[in-house]
Amino acid sequence: MTSLSATSRSKRRPAVGWLRSPLANQIKAPVVCIGLTLGLWQFLAQFNSEGFPGPIQVISQTWDPYIINPFFDDGGTSKGLGLQLLISLQRVAVGYSLAAVIGIAAGLAIGLNRFLRRGFDPLIQVLRTVPPLAWLPISLLLFQQADSAAIFVIFITAVWPIVINTAVGINEIPQDYTNVARVLRLRKRSYLGDILMPATAPYVFTGLRIAIGLAWLAIVAAEMLKADGGIGFFIWDAYNAGGDTSTSQIILAIVVIGLVGLALDRLVGAVGTLVAKGGK
Amino acid sequence: MDRAMVTVDNVTRSFALPKGGTYVALKDINLNIAEGEFISLIGHSGCGKSTLLNLMAGLDQANTGGILMDSRQVTDPGPDRMVVFQNYSLLPWQSVRQNIALAVNNVMRESSQVERRERVEQSIALVGLGHAADKLPAELSGGMKQRVAIARALAIRPRLLLLDEPFGALDALTRGNLQQQLMQICQQAGVTTVMVTHSVDEALLLSDRVVCLTNGPAAGIGQILKVTLPRPRERLEVMEHPDYYRLRGELINFLQQQRRLKQHRQELGTSVVSPSVPQPAPKAVAMAQRTVRIGYLPGLDIAPMAVALDRGFFSDRNIQVIPVVFHRWQQMEEQLRAGDLQLAITSATSPLALALGQHGQPSWPAITPMTVTRSGNAICLAQRFRDLNVHSLSDLAALLDDRGSRLRLAIGQQGSMQDLLLRHWLASGGIDPDQAVDFQILSPLAIQSALRNGEIDGFIAGRYRVAKAMDAGLGYVLATDLDIWSGHPEKVLTCHEAWAANNEALLLDVCGALIRGGQICENGGQRDRLIGLLSRPQWLGNDAALALQRQLNLGNGQATSNLLPLNRYHSDRAHVANSAEGAWILTQFSRWGWSPFPRNRLELLGQVYRNDFCSTALEQEGLAALSPDRQPIQLACGGPFDQDEPLSYLEALPFTHNTAIAVMPLPSGTAKRATTTTETPAS
Repeated sequence: MTSLSATSRSKRRPAVGWLRSPLANQIKAPVVCIGLTLGLWQFLAQFNSEGFPGPIQVISQTWDPYIINPFFDDGGTSKGLGLQLLISLQRVAVGYSLAAVIGIAAGLAIGLNRFLRRGFDPLIQVLRTVPPLAWLPISLLLFQQADSAAIFVIFITAVWPIVINTAVGINEIPQDYTNVARVLRLRKRSYLGDILMPATAPYVFTGLRIAIGLAWLAIVAAEMLKADGGIGFFIWDAYNAGGDTSTSQIILAIVVIGLVGLALDRLVGAVGTLVAKGGK
Repeated sequence: MDRAMVTVDNVTRSFALPKGGTYVALKDINLNIAEGEFISLIGHSGCGKSTLLNLMAGLDQANTGGILMDSRQVTDPGPDRMVVFQNYSLLPWQSVRQNIALAVNNVMRESSQVERRERVEQSIALVGLGHAADKLPAELSGGMKQRVAIARALAIRPRLLLLDEPFGALDALTRGNLQQQLMQICQQAGVTTVMVTHSVDEALLLSDRVVCLTNGPAAGIGQILKVTLPRPRERLEVMEHPDYYRLRGELINFLQQQRRLKQHRQELGTSVVSPSVPQPAPKAVAMAQRTVRIGYLPGLDIAPMAVALDRGFFSDRNIQVIPVVFHRWQQMEEQLRAGDLQLAITSATSPLALALGQHGQPSWPAITPMTVTRSGNAICLAQRFRDLNVHSLSDLAALLDDRGSRLRLAIGQQGSMQDLLLRHWLASGGIDPDQAVDFQILSPLAIQSALRNGEIDGFIAGRYRVAKAMDAGLGYVLATDLDIWSGHPEKVLTCHEAWAANNEALLLDVCGALIRGGQICENGGQRDRLIGLLSRPQWLGNDAALALQRQLNLGNGQATSNLLPLNRYHSDRAHVANSAEGAWILTQFSRWGWSPFPRNRLELLGQVYRNDFCSTALEQEGLAALSPDRQPIQLACGGPFDQDEPLSYLEALPFTHNTAIAVMPLPSGTAKRATTTTETPAS
């Protein structure tokens, strides 16, 4: 029946056949919806007396140099978006790597030791809810330097989900696997490598994925408050400059931050699937 | 059977409940497994099959008792006892080959790389998975996964292979093929195997013995079925074997009976009695006087009750016991049925006879919480037989042959333990009791005068009656318990099932007091005091000393102590309410044509024999809980009785009237008793 009706319809309107291709099918909905949103934005922007730009103005006002030349460097803090991004990503890389290494190690310790788990659980539960920016003053006091302070904020924000998920992962190793290990009398090293790590990996990567989102959140906030360079600084700088094109620059930066955040999330996710293959 | 490779020795496993208290999963499990044997564990879900398997694997530890393998206690898991888990437990991140190699590399550490690799490949080939060796478990079907799990287990050459419902999740076709494969592999490797299963057919196809577990809580071994089908077995051929459906029927029957028993217990509102956390009873209830009327007939069997009353064991426990004396068993049973008595010390056969509704009576849900006494009977003949040179059973048989007249023997009650023992003894000497003997049912009081007047030729009775007859010079002892069944249950406590369920604590206290009383009765140092007590008119009067004399005149010239043992009141597991003994009683009921052999015997015995009361009472008294052992009962005359093979025992007995089997209707425990409860309300 379905095939019959499909053929009859395509006979009637053969011109729109390409609309049914799988690719078109996938992007049809987002294209329509995003297009409508942009259209509405453009429409509403016309009535704004303050000169709030619509999407077309945003692109035209930032086309040169921000979009076509992301890596220009006029010295000082006047850099292209690409360079600013690299500065931010560098900070995230350092802080996030620290958080991953220390978080997994701490998670292992807490997961394997009941005493530690019970002892540290309340502390972790409290600290993990502290917003990233609340850490900034302390970290500035501690490190005296904007760069290290930002890295510390990233670290302290990102470390909790990694710790918690690693510990949970160890707790949740199915009894079946531990029973196999007990019956075979697996040696410690074999137990770690053959059972504990593969069984915990999916949980660790869940933690890492949550952490990368938080890290990106923290870096923009930290840079806006206290930094020289970085995407957060770029926004704040544009705002302070107060030029004609400032708003457009800010909007462009927001779009970039969103896209990079998404990319980071997907990247960690992809690595996780690759590493934890067959883990579930 | 070969020497046991694995011994499960009196294992009990209980778990602490989160709300306090404990759940007893397995109780007093005893099992021997021979080298190379294939054992199946079967039973309803929640009966502790997997728990038992985990105990054997060493993944779990028993609370009491232990498991021996090759005479060494199992304390932790190890590769010599490899487990194939219910859900395969393959590591999903490793390929088939890696999964097997993990086991091989860890266990065969001494062997060379080449040897290990060979073993892995060999194991993969054994289960025919060469084509899938590099696949991950997720890419395999359920049957293939199970084959990998089996290959992994066998690769390390365990001494004992433990399978936890290995084929539970597979479709019928795969299941059948795998069963066949497993059977071949196990047979070739000669590996000893224990398998938990739900499937009766699977158990029959694969096993040498099927161990049937009773319902939890406190699950035990209900029956052990030997699977006699010839090997090698082929699934389809096995089903055509004449024994197959009989065995299958037995297993299904067992499971059905267990299910009904469970329902029955649920209807009664009690599960198995077990030691509970002492609950602070409301004070008013604790103080309330509890009154129990216990019926009895005079004899040495009442000694524990007399002692318990004398020493205040009942009043210590806030029970007022009113002993009610009877002179005929019949009368006592009538009063028990009517509810005028709450408890009675009856013959060991009475609970079953009442439950089956024998002698034209409607069936009555009797239970027995404990055995009061064991042994203590003797068979006596009138003096004139001694003059005829009757000194043994064969003399008697020869005499009866010559004379052609019937022997007149007195018993206290038809179908009583004494009746059964007497008949069994006569039959073992080639005398058909129904042809050659006139049984006269006499009140124990009347026996002596009947013997004197020549109205009877002899009788069977307890030591008390025997002593009196000997003392009067009226007869002599021809046989004692030692010649028939030493240690048989003689008198048991009997009551209504619903009364027991409603008065659990009270009944436990009564049992406890009787156990304490029994302990004192058996204490030699207390003998003089015991004689003094029993000599009081309300018990046995002045003859008590006579009955308790260590040296008893056997009336045949030998005045010896050893030939007539005293009643056993306490020692050597005397109190156990042993359903195996009940099974023997059922064979005798059937043998003499009083009732068909109950097809649902385990259900019947499970309802009637409530050893949980005895065990709990013992524990409350601070004594070790007792459970019946599963050894065949050794009778002095006739062969041993194996409770798992009652029908073949019955068929082998001489003069068996009736080997019919029927499902006997069982009394419903929910039937409300018309009488008032004895527990006085709090206010």
